[in-house]
Amino acid sequence: MELLRPSSIAELDGAGETVFLAGGTEVVPLLRDGILSADRLVDVSDVVPRGVQGNVIGAGTTLAELEVDRRIPDALREACRLAASPQLRNMGTIAGNLLQSTRCWYWRLKYPCRLHGGDTCHAREGEHREHAIFENDYCASAHPSDVAAALLALGARIRTTRRELSVAELYRLPDDANRALVTLEPGEAILELELPPVDTSVYLKAMDRKRWSFPQVGVAAARSDGETRVALAGVAPIPWLLDGFESATPLERTAWKLDVAKALVARATAAL
Amino acid sequence: MPELELSVNGETRLVDLPVGTSLAALLRESLGLTGTKIACNEGHCGACTVQIDGVPTLSCITLAHRVRGEVTTIEGLRDHPLIDAFVRADAVQCGFCTPGQVVSAAALVAANPDPGVDEIRHRMAGNICRCGTYPRIEEAILHWRG
Amino acid sequence: MARLIRTEKEVEGRFEDVWLVVEEDPLTQWPEGPLAVVGRDARRQDGPQRVRGEARYTADVQLPGMLHTALLRSPYAHARVARIDFTKALGLPGVRGALGPGDAKGLEAEAGFAGAAVAAVAAATFAQARSAIEAVEIEWEELEAVLDPNDAVARGLLTAPSAAYERGDFERALADADVVVEGTYRTSVVLHNAMETHQAVCEWIGDALHVFVSTQYIWGVRAQLAEAFGIPGDKVRVVCEYMGGGFGAKNGADDYTLVAAELARQTGRPVRCALTRREENTAAGNRNGTVQRLTAGARSDGTIVAFGGEFVNAVGWSGWSAMTDGPMQMLYACDNVRTVRHGAKINTPPMKAFRAPGFVEGTFGLECIVDELAAKLELDPLELRRLNYTHSNDGTPYSSKNLMQCYDLAQKHWDRRHQVRARSTDIWKYGVGMASQIWYGGGGPPSYAWTRVGSDGCVTVVTAMQDIGTGTRTTMAQIAAEELGVPLDRVEVVLGDSARGPYATLSAGSSTTPSVGPAVRAAAADAKRQILEIAAQRHDLEQRVLDIRDGSVVSEDGNLSQPLESLLGLLESAQILGQGARGPNPTGMSVLTFGIHVVEAAVDVETGEVRVERVAAVHDVGRIVNPLGARSQVEGGIIQGIGHTLSEQRLLDPASGRVLTTTLDAYRMPTIADVPEIVCEFVDIPDEHLTNLGSKGIGEPPIVPIAAAIANAIRDATGADVHELPITREEMLRALRAARRKETRGAPAAV
Repeated sequence: MELLRPSSIAELDGAGETVFLAGGTEVVPLLRDGILSADRLVDVSDVVPRGVQGNVIGAGTTLAELEVDRRIPDALREACRLAASPQLRNMGTIAGNLLQSTRCWYWRLKYPCRLHGGDTCHAREGEHREHAIFENDYCASAHPSDVAAALLALGARIRTTRRELSVAELYRLPDDANRALVTLEPGEAILELELPPVDTSVYLKAMDRKRWSFPQVGVAAARSDGETRVALAGVAPIPWLLDGFESATPLERTAWKLDVAKALVARATAAL
Repeated sequence: MPELELSVNGETRLVDLPVGTSLAALLRESLGLTGTKIACNEGHCGACTVQIDGVPTLSCITLAHRVRGEVTTIEGLRDHPLIDAFVRADAVQCGFCTPGQVVSAAALVAANPDPGVDEIRHRMAGNICRCGTYPRIEEAILHWRG
Repeated sequence: MARLIRTEKEVEGRFEDVWLVVEEDPLTQWPEGPLAVVGRDARRQDGPQRVRGEARYTADVQLPGMLHTALLRSPYAHARVARIDFTKALGLPGVRGALGPGDAKGLEAEAGFAGAAVAAVAAATFAQARSAIEAVEIEWEELEAVLDPNDAVARGLLTAPSAAYERGDFERALADADVVVEGTYRTSVVLHNAMETHQAVCEWIGDALHVFVSTQYIWGVRAQLAEAFGIPGDKVRVVCEYMGGGFGAKNGADDYTLVAAELARQTGRPVRCALTRREENTAAGNRNGTVQRLTAGARSDGTIVAFGGEFVNAVGWSGWSAMTDGPMQMLYACDNVRTVRHGAKINTPPMKAFRAPGFVEGTFGLECIVDELAAKLELDPLELRRLNYTHSNDGTPYSSKNLMQCYDLAQKHWDRRHQVRARSTDIWKYGVGMASQIWYGGGGPPSYAWTRVGSDGCVTVVTAMQDIGTGTRTTMAQIAAEELGVPLDRVEVVLGDSARGPYATLSAGSSTTPSVGPAVRAAAADAKRQILEIAAQRHDLEQRVLDIRDGSVVSEDGNLSQPLESLLGLLESAQILGQGARGPNPTGMSVLTFGIHVVEAAVDVETGEVRVERVAAVHDVGRIVNPLGARSQVEGGIIQGIGHTLSEQRLLDPASGRVLTTTLDAYRMPTIADVPEIVCEFVDIPDEHLTNLGSKGIGEPPIVPIAAAIANAIRDATGADVHELPITREEMLRALRAARRKETRGAPAAV
């Protein structure tokens, strides 16, 4: 394995069989487990912007930096504050957080599930009490990013090395033709996030410990110009922009999440 | 193998290691700094916490070849007043997580010499102690100056 | 004089009749209350080493040329190795040796659970060993797997014959009861997760085996290895000076030690075998799950007249069926009790002792149903417990029991419940719950200690016990310092090495202090006697007028005060040697520990979040040697118990039987943020019948009642009966729904 440390964005393109890493909190364990493999690791720390300028957040900004930054909308700051552990927030970047994989134990333990290219979702038939309540038919995994839910509610836009897109456009549901959950192309890296102004925002998180817990249910809500947007973490294979609970399809053991989500959504919108 | 130069507890160290080696393995196996413990080896428990430029970092999931800042391990904090504070408060049982706790706590009190209980609980939540010394750790940090 | 006795020996609630050689215990107990050193807060003597990262654990042992082991584990819940071929694996870089089924104890062809080790490879690095394991060619014959404990019991698949117990006439008493409550309670599998994983480093030096191992019982490891290799016990040296936690899972040598020793023999090199965290959570033991079908009947005056229980322990492939029925048999005066306990042998990872095995689980069920009974009787739960207080253990007197004093000390915490409940809002409901604790913890013989007093007046206690993190090293130093009349900092304790000290018992069953402590006191007394003999001759005084205080030999009339180093200077490099043994336990008496927890908790009735806000713990474990260390044990037990109650649960894939929660993001132990206010009190009264010390152990008692106390606080807050651990949001919301249904049904018809 080789480690590259490019000093310009131009060097990121056409890098072939490479894996980017910044904080490394997700990539390093996945490499060790053989879920990711790469001949070449590309450390993007030197080329990806870091820090906050106006309403633009550098992709390399750590969650720890964001959780104490008063310029950041409440929902995002709180999502960062309640994410992971202090050390992981010190290391992990906001872009890396968006690109993290599910905590589904079947996926992490390399069961040949649909996300790994197989033809079954082991969680649906098996142990799924921490899994999805929306769009869980093909794959019942739950997306663990608090930050993504906050950015989705805030209507954030992403600038990559190749294009601009919304946070919603970063994610896709998996299907037989394409098992990926993100729309980034090989060699494409996130550079910046832009936050449109909002009047007020909030993030609420149900955990099974008071700290250092992935969201059982995370609820971000933001209001701007009288319009409220609500997004959820931990309820679908991808961060979930809420459009009512009618489309929910809870599994036997995820029905409880629906109760939790409804209560937190009511609280979040009331808090705005 | 690419040679690697890094600064640990104020000393420059040179090592030859394959890419992919963790900082924790480097410290323990190449440098003999076994105060840094490995308990989960995948970033979940905090036993391996070291500071890089003063920032608590999980050395077990840090690739040694990416490290550029000054690495401070428990061996570099042996004269810190927190050591005595932990002993006074009985903030140690089996002790396997304790060096990592001290490294996290040292960063905390460096940033805020008078942290309150809420801040201690927020900043120390990444260091798991299975013996449950947490109330004593809280006390040690509250009264770290003696 | 040594005496041979036939006696019942208890470890972790398991009894066996054994022959024991014991020595008399002629010392009278110290008076009650804090003494010069004993009964006063003492800092851990090895605290600085542990905190500074200087303490060398098994994990830190690096020997020249040391090889690393990886284990091949079964992917199937039940399977047999049909064929195994190491040819390819042995050809890989760094690989030095391999073992297959039958090549070492612990490696068997039949894998009884997913994760059972069947083969091992030693290589220069762990990564190389792992790669080699991948290259082992193996064919499995899959066998039928039984994963459901009820199914196993129905089919007679048991770890041991089911244990039936009866006193009185349960059926008749139940029929006559005014109030009857029934319920099924479930506890989940939880994992020890000591921070230092199970591991050993083995090296053969000539015909002797040298072992560094993370263990709670160096002598047990020694015996197992001596037997496995057919060598005398003294050819095996077992060292564990510092140990990164055990909680019951490290009482034996186990496959990893046996494999390391065999690979070391085969390769002629030191060999490490260390489990990864994921292996730890798969194969290193657990607190097994239970199903408890319980019945309680009482008269309307609150007298409990009948207890019945069927307990199913989902033991796993190995382990034993712990006494989940114990609390029901022992905690109350109830005249009519009928229990049966089954140990289901299923194809799941092995049970190992885990901090008060059986009683933790059984107390959850019992103390919940007792509170449900109190609710139905409309009686104060604490009064109900006082009312059914028992003064004997099924007819056998207690060596000491001060549970009533525990209740009395807890009263002030219990009395807070009205003001706590008043904090409730529409969403957050507050309540207070309590639960009693009963458990063993008296230790027993044999254990031995030596003391050595040098010409400098410094004392070394030598005993081959282990300090698994509980602070027993400091406890022993305090006991020796007290007896010898020297300041604590003059005493050093050498432990953890089977070649450098006499036998001491295992650090399990809350037994280290009550087992080894009296031996240390006896050894110190032996040295003291010799010192006073010397002083008497030196000063031409009668020995009976002399004593040692604060490091000096003093005479009754105050005319003599000679520092020890001055008196003993004549020894030069020679030493005074003392030896001591643990005397027998009192015959015809039950030695037990007692306590009560009062928990204040809050429930978010919309999201099912449970917050434990305050725990008041009162324990009766005889004399407290080190209040500081004892409080740490209580806090630690409570915190671990809160994890068991709220967030920890090992999950299996129901199809394959494989563990899913192998990592610490999925298996969630409490963090510092989850800790409630903890108030800790002791009934610090020596057990007058138990040894020269009067102390019992405090390691396990505090984890026993916490789950039930939390569940009872939840009932007090919300009216919901939680019947399953852990109390996840899912379980909490289910219980709240059930309570609402009950309320609707029970409500008077609308007018």
